[in-house]
Amino acid sequence: MTTTEATRRGTAPQQRPTPPRRRRSALRRRNALIGWSFILPNFIGFGFLTLLPVLILFYMAFTNWNVFGKADWVGIANFQRLLGDGSFHIAFWNTLYYSVMHIPLTIVVSLGLALLLNNKLRGVAFFRTAAFFPYITSIVAIAVVWNLLFSPDYGPINEILRAIGISSPPGWLTSSEWAMPAVVIVSTWRDMGYYMILFLAGLQTVPRELHEAARVDGANVWERFVNVTLPSLRPTMFFVTVMLTINSFKIFDLILVMTDGGPGQSTLVLSQFIYKKGFEESQFGYASAAAVALFFLCILVTIGQFLWNKKRSA
Amino acid sequence: MNRKILAAGSIAAVAALTLAGCSGSTDAGESADPDAPITLTLSGWSLDTTPEFQTLADAFHEENPNVTIELKEYDAAEYNTLVTADLAAGSGPDIITQKEVKYVTTFQEGGQLLDVSDVKLPDGIGGAESYTVDGTAYAVPYRQDSWVLFYDKDLFDAAGVAYPDGSWTWDDYAAAAKALTTDTSKGAYLHRWQSTVQGFANAQTGTSVLDGDYSNLKQYYDNTLALQDAGYQVDFNTSTANQLTYQGEFGTQKAAMMLMGTWYTATLIAQQASGDANDFEWGIAPAPQLDAKTAGTDNTPVTFGDPTGFGINANIDSAKVDAAKKFLEFAASEEGAQALAAIGITPALTNDAVVDTYFSVDGAPSDDLSKFAWSTHEVLPENPTSSKTATIQGILGDLHTAVMSGSASIDDAIKTAEDRVKNEVG
Repeated sequence: MTTTEATRRGTAPQQRPTPPRRRRSALRRRNALIGWSFILPNFIGFGFLTLLPVLILFYMAFTNWNVFGKADWVGIANFQRLLGDGSFHIAFWNTLYYSVMHIPLTIVVSLGLALLLNNKLRGVAFFRTAAFFPYITSIVAIAVVWNLLFSPDYGPINEILRAIGISSPPGWLTSSEWAMPAVVIVSTWRDMGYYMILFLAGLQTVPRELHEAARVDGANVWERFVNVTLPSLRPTMFFVTVMLTINSFKIFDLILVMTDGGPGQSTLVLSQFIYKKGFEESQFGYASAAAVALFFLCILVTIGQFLWNKKRSA
Repeated sequence: MNRKILAAGSIAAVAALTLAGCSGSTDAGESADPDAPITLTLSGWSLDTTPEFQTLADAFHEENPNVTIELKEYDAAEYNTLVTADLAAGSGPDIITQKEVKYVTTFQEGGQLLDVSDVKLPDGIGGAESYTVDGTAYAVPYRQDSWVLFYDKDLFDAAGVAYPDGSWTWDDYAAAAKALTTDTSKGAYLHRWQSTVQGFANAQTGTSVLDGDYSNLKQYYDNTLALQDAGYQVDFNTSTANQLTYQGEFGTQKAAMMLMGTWYTATLIAQQASGDANDFEWGIAPAPQLDAKTAGTDNTPVTFGDPTGFGINANIDSAKVDAAKKFLEFAASEEGAQALAAIGITPALTNDAVVDTYFSVDGAPSDDLSKFAWSTHEVLPENPTSSKTATIQGILGDLHTAVMSGSASIDDAIKTAEDRVKNEVG
């Protein structure tokens, strides 16, 4: 359109050059109105149900809210208490421990699955669906079944381990060292389908010509993967990493139904600490402070990831 | 022109969606009319399997035809959270059932409970102290369960072991568990709750969880772990992995003995009638005691248990307060106790007449020891009424899972718990 206008201007200089200012801003206003009217239904819901409570939470973190209306200002007392709270430290480190194990494992597994299933063989659709099933299964059902699988004396997993020669297999969910790895295994199994789909979508954008060129140049499969696939996947990889990180920091439902923070406190994570303080011990102001701490953890790490990505793609 | 239609259509859609999102019409407030019938809402849980609420509601309605009690059902496992949410939103029930003593201070400090000190309680009622804060009563007990020993007479006969006679100590209990363990059934089943060990440990040594000193737990955990290691009871990890139910374990005769609260008698009677549980002779005995001082039918055995009570919503309509207080008085009275005993619930008032009613229910044990175990005991509260209780019980719950799963020794776990209480509760 611009080219045509410019040509027209060039050939017929006596025509009006651009629409007058009033009509231009009216157009922009109408476009904005249309845009807002599409976003508004969702945004109103988001605003009232998510944004407003989050803003209120920031205020409540500085009070001793008891959920029934009393919220006296206590300043930073909640945060000082958090700093000295042993359970909060345990929850914090457990959350980091879980994330550091879960994120790379899930990326490797889901990327591997995506690469395996990124072809047009017959039946590949079945395998893609099967890999996605764990993600849509009820979390309680998952917890019950994996609890049975992980049973140290009667569970199939330890039976197999004993059969291949490991005489004292780990106690899994009954042992404080192995409970978190067990949860990570189940969590990876559950998430791999979802991130596999994301990676599959990303793999479709890798230009075939690059692969062809690399093959012609004599690169083997691994070199092609590292030098063609991975760089092309960077936007997808960035998205997956950010989503995985945030979801790992916020992990709650799986821990609650599988171990409830136990045995002892070995799988207590931040979200669960917040839930316990708020709903089991009715200290909602303190729980809000912990939630603010979790928020800052997520946002600082995410900002770090964005800066890293910007540097890499510059 | 197309854009105009598009814009108009989308604005209309937004308007429609926004209006649809608004909630329905608000209820108009009803003006007070002294002769009008009064409806009180009462919070309950698992209404199909917990008939006590409907029983009390119906019995009260018979005596007071102008007052109807409507039951509001809440999920049993999340009862306190859901009631808290409703109260915070201003749509809580008129009569708030106090399911756990741990939460009484939450409601009371949150200003949600009305002062009910003027509700008359019968003499000899148990559990009223749990609802008293600073001399003011905020709820009224209608039920007082206690923990007793359930035993399977058929399995005892098969193994040739003498029935409990009311004088057992924990050593006697362990010896019986050993003798009763066969290939098909264990001597005992201990459920996964922390109360199964800690309740007895605290009540029988006279320790309060608020003190912060948990050395009394060591002996009780050593005893329990010994039974577990020897194979006389299902171990904690298997019970957790397979999510065993205590009703299933005792009811299908997989264990000859079980320590459980008196609420189980109603369930067992119902399940034996329906066929969910096996048909066998059973009885209840006093819980094993720490030593001979409190053991035997000449003494008063010590056990633990918490009451269940009714409180009144502080924001209740002022026209309904009298009716609500009348209901509380009724629930705690002998009439309420008789109504509850007739369906197998352990009321807070257990005089001789109530005992007779309870044990005349079809399917209830008929021996004297059962009657003694049910009516004669010193019941100490499992949860002291304090705002620190919930946090401390959480810490002790972590101790329980750590020790019972074998991932921490009892000494380490006790030290961790004591440090945590100092650090987190102060």
